[in-house]
Amino acid sequence: MQMQQQQEHAFEFTGNGWEYFKIWIVNLLLSILTLGIYSAWAKVRRLQYFYRNTRLADASFDYHGTPKAILKGRIIAFIMLTVYSVTIRVNPLLGITIALMIAVVMPWLIVRSLRFKLYNSSYRGLRFAFAGSDAAAYTVFLLFPILSVVTLYLLMPFTHQRIKQYQHCNSQFGDTFFNFDAPVKSFYGIYLKVLGMFVGLAILAGIFSVAGLPFMLILLPVVFLFIMAYMAVSLPNLIWNATTLGEHTIHSNLKVRPYLWIGFTNLLGIVFTLGLFIPFATVRMLRYKLENMSLTAMGDLGKFVAGQAQATSAVGEETAEMFDVDISL
Amino acid sequence: MVSARYFDGKTAAAQAVSLSLDAQDIVLRSADFELRWPLQQVNISERLGNTPRLLNYAGGGHCEVTDHAALDAMLAQLGTRRSWLDGMQHSLAWALLAAGLFVLALLAAYRYLLPWGAEVIAMRLPESVLQKMGSSTLETLDKFVLQPSKLDMARQQQISAEFARLNAPSAAQLHYHIVFRSSPDIGANAFALPDGNIVLLDELVGLTKDDNEIIAVLAHERGHVERRHAMRMVLQSSVVGLVLAWYVGDVSSLLASAPAIIMQAKYSRDMESEADDYAGQTLKLNALSPCLLASILDKLEAAQLAKAAEKEHTASAGKTHEVMDYLSSHPATREREQLLCPSKSPQ
Repeated sequence: MQMQQQQEHAFEFTGNGWEYFKIWIVNLLLSILTLGIYSAWAKVRRLQYFYRNTRLADASFDYHGTPKAILKGRIIAFIMLTVYSVTIRVNPLLGITIALMIAVVMPWLIVRSLRFKLYNSSYRGLRFAFAGSDAAAYTVFLLFPILSVVTLYLLMPFTHQRIKQYQHCNSQFGDTFFNFDAPVKSFYGIYLKVLGMFVGLAILAGIFSVAGLPFMLILLPVVFLFIMAYMAVSLPNLIWNATTLGEHTIHSNLKVRPYLWIGFTNLLGIVFTLGLFIPFATVRMLRYKLENMSLTAMGDLGKFVAGQAQATSAVGEETAEMFDVDISL
Repeated sequence: MVSARYFDGKTAAAQAVSLSLDAQDIVLRSADFELRWPLQQVNISERLGNTPRLLNYAGGGHCEVTDHAALDAMLAQLGTRRSWLDGMQHSLAWALLAAGLFVLALLAAYRYLLPWGAEVIAMRLPESVLQKMGSSTLETLDKFVLQPSKLDMARQQQISAEFARLNAPSAAQLHYHIVFRSSPDIGANAFALPDGNIVLLDELVGLTKDDNEIIAVLAHERGHVERRHAMRMVLQSSVVGLVLAWYVGDVSSLLASAPAIIMQAKYSRDMESEADDYAGQTLKLNALSPCLLASILDKLEAAQLAKAAEKEHTASAGKTHEVMDYLSSHPATREREQLLCPSKSPQ
């Protein structure tokens, strides 16, 4: 029998800020001039730019969503949003009913959204796919969140773990499934640390409210941003390090200080350029995230085989986006 | 010859191939095989920065090309021209032009779309909202800056009655009421609350011997109410705050709203002119001269400047700054006086 050869592949991001700026600004202007219609084309181009610049083991990812599918999804989502905001003004009771209905269909929409997103992603000519069932989606996206609210968020880390488990274990590349085995207690560990830091922040605030306002105005936001960066770094690390694809393992090694620095300078850049820094900021952050991810391949990456995923409409994806549901993987 | 990596779409295996053109086909050659793809069935992805270009074959499989120059040379043989969008997306000149237009669009939306939207909404708000805004504002002001009026009842009633007798250019939309207060901190001033209550400070009453001048100021404030200026200001600044917060991501609303409030100054200038207009019409309608407003404006400005000088002298901070900002947002008083009272020679 042949020995499995273990090889480490780093993710690479080859995009750069100026290049993306040129694409971004032209597409943004066209989107404004066409009152938003062109934004579907802009979205495809944006994702293609990011996917194709993401390289692993000397091959690129690609995005296959079509502008027309996305535009159709957006129009339907826009109509739903308009109907909702008009009815809630005219008849609050009916509006609340519609809001409840939307909450009830949301898990269903999220499944469609994940299907659309993954089906339209490819690497080395093979599509990704999402095979999660609707029933399980209702458990993790509706039942658990309700339970977590009822228990005063005691179940929130548990819910988070179950959501990620549902998402990752049902994702596939070609016909190979991803797996996810982070234990619930590791989620509780991070959430407890964050809680502890917030308690510390409250104590600091107490001390400094005595010492004087200037300290408070400078120090507290810094500590607050640090906590947010800690969360933004440790959760993806936990999630990706617990994710495997077949025999191949994925690693994420983000660190708080560089993340905080990039995030903070991005924020300043965006504020002081009326938003024109956004493309540079996006590229910087994405590059940092991707370049700290890697994949340890057991044997040949070329051995994956295509699956039978089916195309889906973009309605779920666009609706979820318009109602601000973040389901980034 | 263009070197490329070929994927068959069935497995993830990559194979090095070279591409060339032969009549109406693209030919893929490797050490082991040769494939012919009819050009009509190959979708060649557009140029997108420096990303690899993809040749997707309708019959399955694709090629990834990173050698842009070689591929462009091959496509040039076919006579395919780059699309206008391709050119725009990769040209610095277009990017800068688009950036300029984008900033212009942003400013135009801020300057025209936002006030228009705020006016449309403010004019349609139910009276109950205005009542609530008015009473809560007065409550806050009473708590922090206003004190009870020292004018006697008879004098208060006299001013109220004179104001009530005034004919308005258009049917009043709200019930107007004068709230008498005093405030050494603010000095001579009067301001309109969204619900039709007009706060008149003793300091302003003491500034003039001519009651008609007080009436002129009240008419000006009434113009602010009729045009829903206070409500519009609140709407505009909260919309700007919201947009900035959304734009910037998750910054505290503090950071987002601070510039918004500073930027508001321009609106209140337009609004002052509108209120002046309204007051001018009202005064003429009641056989009074718009010069009355010009005259009291002059006195107000002198009083506020004196106060500012005095404050600067004692170097006290806090509330006075707000008053100064409020003042600085009025259009040059001379200019306003000229518009109201052209006969009066400029000083």
